Amino acid sequence: MTSDLQVPSGREVRRFTTATARRRGDAGIGTLLGDVYYAFVTAAIGIGVALGVVNTMREALPPPPAVPVAGPDLSVPSLAALVALGFVGVLLSLAGRLGPVGVGGAEATWWLSLPVDRRGLLRPVAIRLPLLAGAVSAVLLALLDQGLPAQAHPLGRALKVAVLGGLGAATLVLLAGVGQSLGAVRRRIATAGNILIGLVPVLALVGALAGWRLETVPAPAPALLVVIAFVVVGAAVALDRRLVRIPARDLRDSGSVASQAVGAVVSLDSRELGRALTDGAAPTRRRRASRFGWVRSADTALVAADLAVLRRSPRHMVQVVGAACVPAVVVGVHQLARPGVLAPVLIVAGYVAMVATAEGARRAEMAPVLDRLLPLSAKRVRVLRMIVPGAVMVVWSLAAFASVARLQGDLAGWLVLGVLSAPVWAGAAVRSAYRPSPDWSGPLVSTPAGALPVGIGSVLARGPDVVVLGLVPMLVAVVLGFVTTPVLLAQVATSAIVLAVGAHIQAPRKVSG
Amino acid sequence: MSATPVIRAADLVLGYGGEPVCAPVSFTLRAGRALGLVGPNGSGKSTVLRAVLGLIEPAGGSLRVLGREVDEREQSFRAQVSSVLDDDAYFPALTVAEHLMLTARGHGLTHPDDVVAGLLEDFGLTDHASVLPVALSSGQRRRLLLAAGFARPRVLLVLDEPEQRLDQGMRAVLADRLRAETAAGGAILLATHDPELLEAVATDAVLVGDDKSVRLRVADAARAIRAEPAR
Repeated sequence: MTSDLQVPSGREVRRFTTATARRRGDAGIGTLLGDVYYAFVTAAIGIGVALGVVNTMREALPPPPAVPVAGPDLSVPSLAALVALGFVGVLLSLAGRLGPVGVGGAEATWWLSLPVDRRGLLRPVAIRLPLLAGAVSAVLLALLDQGLPAQAHPLGRALKVAVLGGLGAATLVLLAGVGQSLGAVRRRIATAGNILIGLVPVLALVGALAGWRLETVPAPAPALLVVIAFVVVGAAVALDRRLVRIPARDLRDSGSVASQAVGAVVSLDSRELGRALTDGAAPTRRRRASRFGWVRSADTALVAADLAVLRRSPRHMVQVVGAACVPAVVVGVHQLARPGVLAPVLIVAGYVAMVATAEGARRAEMAPVLDRLLPLSAKRVRVLRMIVPGAVMVVWSLAAFASVARLQGDLAGWLVLGVLSAPVWAGAAVRSAYRPSPDWSGPLVSTPAGALPVGIGSVLARGPDVVVLGLVPMLVAVVLGFVTTPVLLAQVATSAIVLAVGAHIQAPRKVSG
Repeated sequence: MSATPVIRAADLVLGYGGEPVCAPVSFTLRAGRALGLVGPNGSGKSTVLRAVLGLIEPAGGSLRVLGREVDEREQSFRAQVSSVLDDDAYFPALTVAEHLMLTARGHGLTHPDDVVAGLLEDFGLTDHASVLPVALSSGQRRRLLLAAGFARPRVLLVLDEPEQRLDQGMRAVLADRLRAETAAGGAILLATHDPELLEAVATDAVLVGDDKSVRLRVADAARAIRAEPAR
């Protein structure tokens, strides 16, 4: 029932699909230009704000010490180099999770079964991710370099750094694609990236202790850029030739993750983004089933479930450990070891650790049936869901505030303050996990970044809001450089308030009439 | 009719993450025959189909489709093997007819308009030809997927529970089409929970199970489906 038929090329199939869809689309050239304008303005505003922040930070940094300081020390350029290394890890991790080559549901169903040359079908999606990674990396690396306290940052140097970042990132993603076509397990590529990210704080600590110092970050040599450009071209050609060797199952899996992630980004749903990036890389089967032998009640069942979720996610464990190392690294960099830097670092690192502890609550928010399985009130569920984040954040706080004490002295005082502030993180973790999703079906407001739902700000701020407010006493102590009894009492009060806010259940709105 | 079986599976071991999902499976499917895979939910029927389509790698045993190792990356494989799995994904801006046209043209049919018109008629989609998928019911979307399975040349047709979401009338139409398929020399491999469809279409059956996978007479396989415990 088959014969020698004139099968079209993959490119023709792709164009047929696009052209047919375009004929029906209601987006005219005006809409397209509007979207391009919004994207351009958003990117320009973002880069402008970031540039202002890094310039301010660079000018605020004190000069490096003229003579080596006693004790562990890491220079700012060394730290910048490690951050760049961490960024390479992020790229690898994302490339492994997103494919990098994949096709979404409709394309997988209707294109991959056709006997056409898949190269023509896949070429645009194979190019998209390296281009995006290159563009983002170029900007980020240039910003990072701009933040370094060098004598001068001429435009030529910034351009070279941007080119290095762009080409380097594109090379990595293209090589990950070649690996995918050679049968490399995507999860392993992602794990390699995760390990690299996890290595950064370890290397920073070891570097500070061992006295590894990079006095300046040299501008990339033109010859190096030329070599990397050749590598990019080579990797692109290799990937293009091997596109037909990527199995459909791999293309489907990658495409599914990428579609979910893009949907989450477009709808500003960070929880969905986390799920998209985590689920695809997680093993589908466990060697050992937990017997939950210590579970005696609904209360302990809930806590045991949260604990199992955390224990089975090495990525989240590494995230907590990495975040605990960050304050130690900052204290280890002589130029950064000051209260004005430490205060925001504690907030950001604590938030990163906190996010890792609330996966159970986030899952339950997505599937409310999980909470309804147990005979517990909604309020009690929320209180119980604070236990695991609270316990983990106590450990994080002990590590983080031990670093603060290394800078300021009074170890006992800082550790007590850390433990007293841990409930704030627990309350915020649950509040943020149970926040409602943005309501895209309601009215939208026009912003320079495009149309956004009314109230999106308050939705996205649920969680971070109580972190900032609840940690005011701790921040005051860090900025002042010492812990006092009134500060401890104030911290107890704000922690109690945040716990109450985290456990609060909003009463359903009554429908009038 | 070629002497080479369309599918030959011998002690095929399938699973995910190194764990088998069912006992080793063996069967042979020849041209002009229809083999039904039966078994309760989760027994591994769909996994067998996915292995035949090259969507999962067998962990052991041997599997040959059209006389060769399975490699869905080969264009010739995709040209000869048609499948309808449990996908429910569509191009949002393409109509029902355009989805079928894409399939027909993508396989190089010389008169795609005639083929598409015939399929729309057979699957009760003529009135919905210019409708976008978002406006279809779940049963109508299922009919669209099934129609696409016939909108192209094929030697082997692989169907995963094709009766899903179809009303009785459409199940009868499907059974007629599948009988015509085997009568014309085509081979069909289907997984099903519908004893009537199995008896109407299948010439052979295999019960896929955790402990053992055995070849059954079609009537016995239909009885096994009717005896499946509710889960």
